[in-house]
Amino acid sequence: MEKNSGPLSPHIQIYKWQFSSLLSITHRMTGVINVAGFFLIVLWILFLALGPEYYNFYQKFLRSFVGKFILVGFTWSFVYHMFNGIRHLAWDFGYGYEIKTANLSGIIVLFLSILTTFFIWII
Amino acid sequence: MKNHALNKWLIQRVSAIVLIPLLLFFLHSLVDLVNTDYTGALDFFDNYLSIIIFTLFLIFGALHLKLGLGEIIEDYIQDGGLKVILNKIIMLTSAILPIVGIVSLIIIIL
Repeated sequence: MEKNSGPLSPHIQIYKWQFSSLLSITHRMTGVINVAGFFLIVLWILFLALGPEYYNFYQKFLRSFVGKFILVGFTWSFVYHMFNGIRHLAWDFGYGYEIKTANLSGIIVLFLSILTTFFIWII
Repeated sequence: MKNHALNKWLIQRVSAIVLIPLLLFFLHSLVDLVNTDYTGALDFFDNYLSIIIFTLFLIFGALHLKLGLGEIIEDYIQDGGLKVILNKIIMLTSAILPIVGIVSLIIIIL
């Protein structure tokens, strides 16, 4: 196959970092992290189907400090991706393009994602 | 004429919207599920609502991750051969994950 040496998009190496671009790349990173989270969910249901010995082993890991840390992290990742996804959907429908609005909605997404994660795990 | 790129774009958005209530339902039960034991977890699937929501979550989640990862590959991978291999891995993963999940779910219910 012919090698394509054209420029890649988005040009993250030469990009000047801004709040909006940081949120955008975080959307992609949380998307990839969510794939790992999805994998853990499938593994969880597989172990549940395999029986109590397997399930208890998995459960023990999830309840450990490291397990809880991972779960809270995944929760934030999923919630952030969801809220920022709603922001993307608003753009798809043509709303919220103004720089001020986009920055404000970004702050709201960040705030809501942390707040929701807090509510799920602490309360 | 069919527009493949437009279809992908649309399916990604539609799956995203469908996933919102499914994800919220799952996250809502997550803490309880972690704190309960084996029988408690089985009880979670003792009603049709949980089963249906979980099945939809597996299907739409796999669809959404396939499109999302495919888009990332498209943007960052230059090498044509590598792109083909990675897309095949994504295709395989996005098929195996929901199948394993749904088969497990059937075993749990039966």
